[in-house]
Amino acid sequence: MNISKTSRRIEKWCLLVLAAMLPVSGFANVSGASAAKVKQFFAEYCTHCHGVEKSKGKVTLHGFSFEQGTAEKLKLWERVLEALEGGDMPPDEEKKQPTAAERKEIAALFAGELRRQTQQLAATAPRVAVARRLTNFEYENTMRDLLGVDLRHKESLPEDPVKPYHFNNAAEFMLVGPEQIDRYLECAKRALASVIVDPTVPEVRKQRGEWKPAGANRGMGNDEVGIWGNGRGSAAQGIAIQNPPKTGEFRIRFKASAILPAGVREIPLRLVMGYNLGENSSTLRVKPVGTVRLRNSPDAPEVFEMRGRIENFPVQPETPTKGKPVPERLHITPQNLFDDGTLNDENNFQKTRELSVPRAVVEWMEFECPLTAEWPPEPHRRILFDSPLRAADPKGYVRAVLERFLARAFRRPATAEEIARFTAIHELVRPTCATFEEAMRETLALVLISPQFLYHTVADGAVVAPQFELASRLSYFLWGSMPDEELLRVAAAGTLAQPRIMEQQVLRLLADKRSADFVANFTMQWLSLAKMKTVPINKDLFPRFLYYVPLGERAGTEEPYRPTVRDFMLDETVAFVGELIRHNASVLNVIDSNFAMLNQRLAAHYGVEGVQGDELRSVPVKPEHQLGGLLTHGSVLIGNGTGTAPHPIYRAVWLREAILGEYVAPPPAEVPALSDSAGASAEKALSIKDLLVKHRQQEACNDCHARLDPWGVPFEHYNAVGQFQPMVPREGTRIRLFDLEKDKSLDGYRAYLQTVNTVKMEADARLPKGPTVDGLQPLKAYLLRERADDVAGNVIRRLMTYGLGRELTVRDRFALEGLLANAKAKKFGMRDIIIAVCQSELFTTTSPLKKPTANLSR
Amino acid sequence: MKPKSWHLNRREFLKGGGIALALPFLNGMSWAAAGPKRALPKRMLVSYFAYGAYMPEAPNGLPVNGKPHHEWSWWPCANEGPLTFNKSSEPFAPLKNDVSYLRGLDHKGGWKMGGHSSGDVFATGADMTETQRTNSISIDQVAANALGHHTRYASLVLGTEGGTGSYGNCKTLSHRGPGRPIPSMQRPQEIFSRLFNPYAGKEVEEVRAGLKREASILDLLLENSRSMKHRLGTEDAAKMDEYLDSVRSLEQRVERTSKWTQEPLPKIETKGLNLEVAYNQPLEYIRCMYDLVFLAFQTDSTRFATLMLESEHSQSSEMWNYANYALGYKGATHDIAHKRPEDFSGRWDNWRAQQHAYFLQRLRDTREGEGNMLDRTLVLWGSAHPHASHSNQNYPLHLAGGNHLGFKHGRLHSFEGAKKVPLSNLFVSMLNAVDVPTEKFADSTGAMTQLTT
Repeated sequence: MNISKTSRRIEKWCLLVLAAMLPVSGFANVSGASAAKVKQFFAEYCTHCHGVEKSKGKVTLHGFSFEQGTAEKLKLWERVLEALEGGDMPPDEEKKQPTAAERKEIAALFAGELRRQTQQLAATAPRVAVARRLTNFEYENTMRDLLGVDLRHKESLPEDPVKPYHFNNAAEFMLVGPEQIDRYLECAKRALASVIVDPTVPEVRKQRGEWKPAGANRGMGNDEVGIWGNGRGSAAQGIAIQNPPKTGEFRIRFKASAILPAGVREIPLRLVMGYNLGENSSTLRVKPVGTVRLRNSPDAPEVFEMRGRIENFPVQPETPTKGKPVPERLHITPQNLFDDGTLNDENNFQKTRELSVPRAVVEWMEFECPLTAEWPPEPHRRILFDSPLRAADPKGYVRAVLERFLARAFRRPATAEEIARFTAIHELVRPTCATFEEAMRETLALVLISPQFLYHTVADGAVVAPQFELASRLSYFLWGSMPDEELLRVAAAGTLAQPRIMEQQVLRLLADKRSADFVANFTMQWLSLAKMKTVPINKDLFPRFLYYVPLGERAGTEEPYRPTVRDFMLDETVAFVGELIRHNASVLNVIDSNFAMLNQRLAAHYGVEGVQGDELRSVPVKPEHQLGGLLTHGSVLIGNGTGTAPHPIYRAVWLREAILGEYVAPPPAEVPALSDSAGASAEKALSIKDLLVKHRQQEACNDCHARLDPWGVPFEHYNAVGQFQPMVPREGTRIRLFDLEKDKSLDGYRAYLQTVNTVKMEADARLPKGPTVDGLQPLKAYLLRERADDVAGNVIRRLMTYGLGRELTVRDRFALEGLLANAKAKKFGMRDIIIAVCQSELFTTTSPLKKPTANLSR
Repeated sequence: MKPKSWHLNRREFLKGGGIALALPFLNGMSWAAAGPKRALPKRMLVSYFAYGAYMPEAPNGLPVNGKPHHEWSWWPCANEGPLTFNKSSEPFAPLKNDVSYLRGLDHKGGWKMGGHSSGDVFATGADMTETQRTNSISIDQVAANALGHHTRYASLVLGTEGGTGSYGNCKTLSHRGPGRPIPSMQRPQEIFSRLFNPYAGKEVEEVRAGLKREASILDLLLENSRSMKHRLGTEDAAKMDEYLDSVRSLEQRVERTSKWTQEPLPKIETKGLNLEVAYNQPLEYIRCMYDLVFLAFQTDSTRFATLMLESEHSQSSEMWNYANYALGYKGATHDIAHKRPEDFSGRWDNWRAQQHAYFLQRLRDTREGEGNMLDRTLVLWGSAHPHASHSNQNYPLHLAGGNHLGFKHGRLHSFEGAKKVPLSNLFVSMLNAVDVPTEKFADSTGAMTQLTT
């Protein structure tokens, strides 16, 4: 039966009113005896903190009853249930504690009633899907897949909100204002100017640079690229294209090889394009074009080719000078990215300019843009396809073009009304445009700012069959982009919700390279990683961590335009999650694993031997490495440190939020600032003890921190740059760099470091309701032993939240419990979990709540 | 490092003159010469800094009895009355008769928000005490709604982190109304282009034709979207309203832009203007943002602006490192608020004061009518937290300018104890002073008379 939405809403509203008006009767089918038991339990153990006098955590339980609750109330019940199940409450320092049996009994009563009432609520007021606009990340990907041209748009759009431990793809974050629409229109016009070309073949810009070797024993030749570059007029300076084309695909070809010292297998050679790197300034901008890994010697040079869109690269503007102004230009600069972790050492810096380090050889380089072998290019022909209609029936041709484009842009077949509307728009703009192509660009730009394009999973049942909505939900989940043709075909067949078909599609999407975007975007937000990039690293303590400009105006500032170990750390974490999915490995690997994803620079940082090259790969870890799982990742440890010292509170919050899935309330406004405790001791005192003592002196702090700090203390053996370091320098120590004179060798430097690191970090803490753990290994062991379900349950919850694009509520609780049981039976395989999430009713069922269209209901 | 002579010159040039040097002819365009047919503009800027300020004698924003006034306190002097300046506030000494300090004011609506979140309501005074998560209209938008049609842009919304942010985490001070935050712009090049080069080099005729077409197709777009909306469920329909409102105001904007093509664009020389300055050069970057507001005001491109100099919760932005870049502080900028280290806190506030004073000075140095630009510009500067970083009461507040708009300066005003009134009362007075007749703003209980003549 089709009940109109309005009447259901009224029904729901009536229920709520009833519940509010009749507090005593309610719908309770819990026996009075049970309710009395709960009340008595609360009175005995809880209400002196959560009652009339105090309401800690804004929770009051004195007036409790099991009457039908509102969603708000059910949320509170869920918190109570979790506190009972998890054993968080009453806190350890309360003398009066319920027995395990009492706790279990009350928890069971709660679970039962919560289940009954959420089901009841679900029956009366089904879930409503809320239209969400594409995030900037989804927008850029969708434009790429729709138009077949990979252009950057994110930088032209207002920043999307970011919230720690939240995914920003939920409707509440994805607001739209005139500024957004304005920018979307600009992006659409810019993109369409690139995609739909004019019929005349444009002029092709070509440029070539050549460099000569210096000959044997003559020092670094002009054709060589050292780690820190080379002199003027050398290959390291690359080539400059003056007045470059504004639009088009480009191709760069170059002939290259490598001079490899003994023991070095390859050099990564990267091309960047944009401003001139030779001009010493931190505000210059370049974008990478691509990287090749050179293993071939100069006796066997090879030709490499890279392609891209010229629109994506920053053009250095015209420089006015007194003589002849230098016109605007694009520089292509090759970079030798060899990095063994020692490039910052003073003596090594000298050495890297010398012949003993790996050098790339570039004999020549050619640039060409646009590529006109096929004109118009393929993306153009995909939209304005060849057809006899074009000449025979221009109007019919426009209709056909629009029908095809709308179906892809809207991610479902277009309605006749929509086709007619956009055809009319084309007719309107055609007379104002000089060419057919221009009119088409204008029309399609409008398609790209219409709500059908900008919002996905619009629950518009009359137009969007639930199957298409599901296809979009799936592809935005696993690709961060629109569905491809096959997925739309499956959707059209109406079989996507079938578990077997869904599984096939999930596997297909995950195998596609577009899924890398999902893994990166999901991981970054799930683990709240972005903040690690801006932690100010203390150079005095960690002189080798980042590379600094040694000379000139910017001496001492961070070396820009080279991937740093920080960048690799983010890659490491993303690759780790990707590896779990690829091998369907257990999600418990996030706690501990027997492998790490490393490249040479990371391996050098963590002290793992025998890893060469810049490509990340799975490396087996040994106990002495003190690695394994996500908890030891530099990205996590740096992001939750101060850059000088570990920050046990940040790390504790991270562990509880990101890994255990708990909500850690921010310090409330009324609480006196921790001005003399938290920050100060985290930086100054390298021991955590003072901090804990201070927290415990103030009741307002102690309530939360007593349950928080112990989770962060076991991380103390990992320093502020994410290395295992149980012995630390005394406060205020400055560590000198490797010095060949003094240290003789790197082993000598290690010996020096040992003389500096004289203070032992204490890392033992008693976990709330748990054992005392000393260091990270025992903490990991405890988590795997006692909290495995919480860890896996959290991953499931995060995936579901991200996939649905909304916060989960108490109503979804029981569906998640089912998924957890299912995952457990399958040994928590991460890919299995993703499949199960996509097959779940939560994911496949679209809101049944639709306002019937006017003509249907009458 | 040995600075080279050319380098020093360039730096000094940028630091000292900002872009004023690039505008030799603008004085010729100033309003004094604009003739009698146009009244002189009245302007307003609301600017915000994060994490409160150093005031060890007043940890919750009000002085604690018996604690001596600190030479590095953000408050220039201990007592209510004529201003004297200490180390922290010394950059404002030359502006003594153009600035006032206000102690004991805040927005009650932000009291219960998170300890780093009440920046959300700084310019709105919205009531976010309980479960309310939607902000309300900000003071600049009230003014823009009333008088924005007099200028090419109704308002200018800037912020160093850009975008809207989200509840408790805002990156903008401006809101059109509930659920309608206005994303702030943070890239100088983009701000400059949008303000002063909106036609991107196209001829006016071409622009006008394009705008005409745009207006008509936006209309068709609205029709397309409306046809969709009536089929949607309530919550989706609310989203669609948000969309339709946006397209509608874009349409209005197109009309407005079209109208303004009749007026010549101000010509601004970009020589010496470093619009590509990066965040890791805070001095140049912040001054560039201030310069852009100044230029927008000077050219009367807009009269109402907000500038979120710093946002709370800026972990994932370069702003996290500001104090590091500016002063060599070895920690995140936010840590200063928590630790309040003696050696850095005051210097950090002083650094901020220098930049703000630079802006005020530029306004004051520019003649306009019988006085200068500052006389006709109200500039509010403050934070939604005092010294103790998790407190949301008794903001540090600083009001400058408006000597010709009925304000009088040179004093520290205290609104402690029985004298406490909502900060919104000041907003009421500010709005009235810029010719936006206002009786009530947010939770105001009247106008604030202490600062007006």
